[in-house]
Parts: sequence; C-alpha cells; structure tokens
Amino acid sequence: MGAGGDSSESRLGGNGGGEGGVTVNIRCSNGTKFMARTNLESTVGSFKALLAQNCDIPADQQRLIYKGRILKDDQTLQSYGLQADHTIHMVRGFAPSSSIPPPSATTNVATDNTTPGVTRGIGSNDGAGLGASLFPGLNPLGGGGGSGGFGLFGSGLPEFEQVQQQLTQNPNMMREIMNTPAIQSLMNNPELMRSLIMSNPQMREIIDRNPELGHILNDPSILRQTLEAARNPELMREMMRNTDRAMSNIEASPEGFNMLRRMYENVQEPFLNATTMGGNNGNTPATNPFAALLGNQGGSEAGSSPINTSTTGSETAQGQTSPNTNPLPNPWSNTAAGGGTQTNATARPNPAGDARTPGVGGMGGLGLPDLPPMLNGMPDASQLTQLLQNPAISQMMQSIMSNPQYMNQIMNLNPQLRGMFDMNPQLREMMQNPEVLRQMFSPETMQQMLALQQSLLSLNRQQSTPDSAQTGGTTAAPGTANLDLLMNMFGGLGAGGLGVPNQPDVPPEELYATQLSQLQEMGFYDTQENIRALQATAGNVHAAVERLLGNSGQ
Amino acid sequence: MGSEGSSVVVPRNFRLLEELERGEKGIGDGTVSYGMDDADDVYMQSWTGTIIGPPNTVHEGRIYQLKLFCGMDYPDNPPSVRFQSLINMTCVNPETKVVEPSLFPMLANWRREYTMEDILTQLKKEMMSPQNRKLTQPPEGV
Repeated sequence: MGAGGDSSESRLGGNGGGEGGVTVNIRCSNGTKFMARTNLESTVGSFKALLAQNCDIPADQQRLIYKGRILKDDQTLQSYGLQADHTIHMVRGFAPSSSIPPPSATTNVATDNTTPGVTRGIGSNDGAGLGASLFPGLNPLGGGGGSGGFGLFGSGLPEFEQVQQQLTQNPNMMREIMNTPAIQSLMNNPELMRSLIMSNPQMREIIDRNPELGHILNDPSILRQTLEAARNPELMREMMRNTDRAMSNIEASPEGFNMLRRMYENVQEPFLNATTMGGNNGNTPATNPFAALLGNQGGSEAGSSPINTSTTGSETAQGQTSPNTNPLPNPWSNTAAGGGTQTNATARPNPAGDARTPGVGGMGGLGLPDLPPMLNGMPDASQLTQLLQNPAISQMMQSIMSNPQYMNQIMNLNPQLRGMFDMNPQLREMMQNPEVLRQMFSPETMQQMLALQQSLLSLNRQQSTPDSAQTGGTTAAPGTANLDLLMNMFGGLGAGGLGVPNQPDVPPEELYATQLSQLQEMGFYDTQENIRALQATAGNVHAAVERLLGNSGQ
Repeated sequence: MGSEGSSVVVPRNFRLLEELERGEKGIGDGTVSYGMDDADDVYMQSWTGTIIGPPNTVHEGRIYQLKLFCGMDYPDNPPSVRFQSLINMTCVNPETKVVEPSLFPMLANWRREYTMEDILTQLKKEMMSPQNRKLTQPPEGV
C-alpha cells in the first residue's frame, strides 16, 4: 500500500513564502507527496485553496486528515496542533477516483528529501535516536560512545583511546601513573579490582560464560601479580619468560600440544569473541575497553621491552619444532591480530607472556581505562567533592598538575581544548602555568565548577522533557550547545586529571539509588536490568536509557 | 549483548511517544492516520485514528474515524477500538460500533509489538476481505 509513497515528490515553495509560515508535508491517498508553506493561523478552508493550486483536487473536494482527525474548513490549522514538518493526509472526497497524480508532481523536480529525517528521533527504532532526541544536546559528543559509558561528565574526551595510545607510547608516564599512591592503593584492594572488572559488562559476560576464569578473578594474589606486572616491565618480562618455558615444556611432552590447543579454545577464543563482538557493537576501541586493554597492555610492553615485538613475528613462521631455549612463539599471535580491533600497530604482536591465560595480563591495565567512565558516571557532586578531598587523590592531582608536561599532553589530546588554544594563545599560556592550574584545580574551585555543572545539567534536563522531545532534537538551543561544550571541557579535564572509582563497596542499589528511581519513573520496572544498565554506563541515566532501549530493539 | 537485552520492555510512555511521532509525521503506510486527542494528556490515553476506505470496495472514497483508548496497561494489552463513523463490518458491533476482539483476531491475540497503526492497517485489510468488501454501507456520517 504505502509502497507508492515514494513515487514522486514535489515541492511548492515560494507561494506563501514571505510571511514566515511553516512547511508541512501533504500526502495524497495515491501515495504522492508534496510540501506546502502556510501560515498556521490560516483557516483550513484557505489552506485548501492554496493546495488546490498545486494539485488537481479542487478545494471543495479535498478532505484533509491530520492526526486521525478530519480538518474542518472553518478551523485554523493551529487549532489542530499542526506543526512544521508534520504530515497531512489528503483524500479526494465525493469523487470516485483519486488515483490521478497531481500534474505538478510530474513537472517538478524532486529536490531535497525533507521527510522526517531531521527530527526523527523517537520514530526511529533504534534507541540511540530516541535517547538523543529525548535529551537533545545533552551529549553532543558522546553520541559515538554508545554503550561505552562516556557519560555526561566526561564526553570531553571522546578520543579516549588516543589517551591510551599516548600512554602506551609513553611507558614512563604509564609507569608513573601506576606508581601513584592512589592507583597503588587501588591495586592493593582486590575487592575493588574485582568490582572494577565486574562493572565492565564485556568482562562480566566473559566471566559468566567461563566460570573457570572467574576463579582467577577470585584469587587476589593472581590479580595483584598481574597488576604488579603491568607496573613493572622487568617483572612482566620475567613472568613471560617463565611461562614461555613452561609452555615449551608442555609442548614437548606428548599430548602437550593438544592441551595447549584446548587451552586456547577454552580461554583465548571467548576473549577474542568478546572483543570482536564488542568491536562490532561499538566500532571504536574506545567503546570496547577490553580491546583497548589488550592494546594498552601489549603496547606498554612493546614500548618498554622491545625484544618481544621483534621476535614474535618471525617465530610464528617456525611453527612447533624441537624444543629450544628461546621464548616460544606466540601460538595465537595471528588470531590476536586477526581480531583487528586495535588501531595501535605496536600492540599487534600480542606478547607471548600472556600465555598464562592471555587475558589476565591484559587486565593489568584495566584499572586505567575503566576509571574515567566511572568518573563520568558520578552525577553527584557531593561524591565527587568527597573524592576530591581524599588526600591521596589531591596528591595525585597535584603531582599531575605541577607537571606541565602531563597537562600539555592531556590538553593536546582533547581536540576541543586544542582548538580553543589555537584560537587563543593566551589561554594556552595560562594553562601551562602550574600556578594557575593549581588554583584551578584546588578543591574549592572544583567544587564550584561542579555545582555550576550540576545546575547546568538540571537546566538541560528540564528543557528536554518528553513534551519538547516531540519536536525532536531541534529544541537544543545553540546557547546550551555552547554550555555543553564548556561542561564537556570541564568534564574532560577532570577525567584526564584524576581517576579513581567512587565508593566501590556500596551496593549498586544504593550507589545508583537516584538514577534507579528516575528510571522507575520513566517506566523501566526491571530493577536488575536497570542496575545492569547503570553499571554499564557508570550511573549515567541518559546512557542507561539508551542502552535499555537499544537492547530491546534487537 | 543481546542476551541481556531480550528481557527489557519498552515502557508505555516511550512507546506511545514513538507512535505519536509516527502519526504526526505520517511515517509508514500513508493510508491511515492517527494522533492524540489531547496533546496535554500526560497519560496519552485517548487517540483518534482515520482509515481511508480502500479502493475497489464499497468503502472507497469514505473516511472512517475511530477512537482508540490506550489504558495504562497498553501495550501489554490492546487498546479499545471504536468506530465513530457508521460502518457495516463483520468485526464491528453494529450497536456500539466497537471492534469486537472476539471477531478481530489481532486484538484477541494481541502482542506487545503491535501498534495502533497496525490495528488501523489491519482493519483496512479487513475492509478488503471478501466478506466485507461488498457489504452495503449506511450513508456516510456519524
């Protein structure tokens, strides 16, 4: 029936043009469409007269239907709630045939397709669109984040993987960060690490599917070891050599190779599946923290101990030969590269040391990439300020702030900031002055900034109640867009500067109490599902809604 | 990801907003139209739909208006559907003009994914069915 709908399209501009009316779509019963400009104050009768000039149905035979109602001649268009870009159906009344297309349709060139695309938002089946139009402009940059959890707070760093790359290319920085007291204390708390890992939906899925991997997570000493290893390249290399030896021993024994293969099937494949799966969903490594992790880990390894990168590639060619004393080739380096989710070239030769359950080594880096999303999710200013008052954090902040190099790096990574600096060299100078930075990042200033941000956020939310969402994304005024930019910037700075999860021991029901009740009010009644979505999005209601709707769309 | 998504249900208001937009923008099959009666009704309960009589039937050239009422249990349960215009149709109670779920399988076997647009389209198909296309119709009117 509706197939004919696209047969022809025509546009009648000019006619009512001068007096600033709106454009509405007219859809004839035979499937043709055209657009007409009209003033909403005009009556239906005069509107029909206007339409009669552009189609072959005389005004007295036209029957217009909008939102299921037949428009009466003496009413104004406004009284029916007509708005720009809405569609009115036109039927020929009293006449037996309505199948002759209006002549204008054939003569006019079909120009631009202005059908709903612009304001489609809600109509589209994918939840992302819906969310975006429900909360227009809230997250202009985070759009690509998808389920990645770059939330309201930190979307200022959309190229988070860039940071990671930067980090991995600079092992010193990585090590320094790993050595900061905050991260150290984090690592010494296996419970915390566990919750961190579990809060990553992809990791959780892997563990759900492979209980044997869960054991590894439950063993704090292994965790600590891997973390330790991530921090200390020497240790890492040592560990790798050990495992290589062990591997070669295994392989030399009968049935050994089969065992290795089983191990590969049981351990490596789920990981790879998970990573590639995530890659499909998210397109970028940023949305797949796990993929980034592997890259991150491999990269830092490659940076600090180049021997691995140089050897693995060539050794795969050897295949399994007689036992030798060299570190064994990485049996799955090919597949790892085939995963193809990494853009970081240095990360490709997955260091053979990962052999002892390849993923676990990767988890070493988990703390880092996962932190910013968690930070992003903290919608509660008080939580953040609490965090800021934590001596360990402030110490870390200070050490970062007092190091202009760090700051520079962080700033250069943020394209918005970079753009700002390029336009405004004074600002750059200012930002490079440690004194200014310290002031800027003093707890008081941060608190004020957060308060500001909070109020801006609530303002934004008010604006984007479902009512205004009907008109789609257009409600995001340019003014607020700028504010968003500002907020993102702050958020980005914050995320770049500090990274520690908030109160990890609090059960999610409490942690996300406000967000949960918000979701309830919106009509999402499955608390478990809500919690899962909130955890995955680090407490960002907006992203959680997108996630919930996006999932249900499949 | 899909494993956990299957159990999530789209809440009522999200769903109705989506339908509202489709109705206003005229997305989809162009032969039915529908919209909310009262834009201020936060519960989005009362809707009006229009079916343009399908060609080559007795309904051709007619426009049928219907009232659809989405209870708070929509879309878990179907809306109630009542013709405003006079119509002679097998699934419509001639007295109350209500579309009887027992005679209209779509309502009887309601599924959550069905929309009001689906109902209207299905009703239009019903008008084209052999038992309905030739039924004599009352004079047009309410």
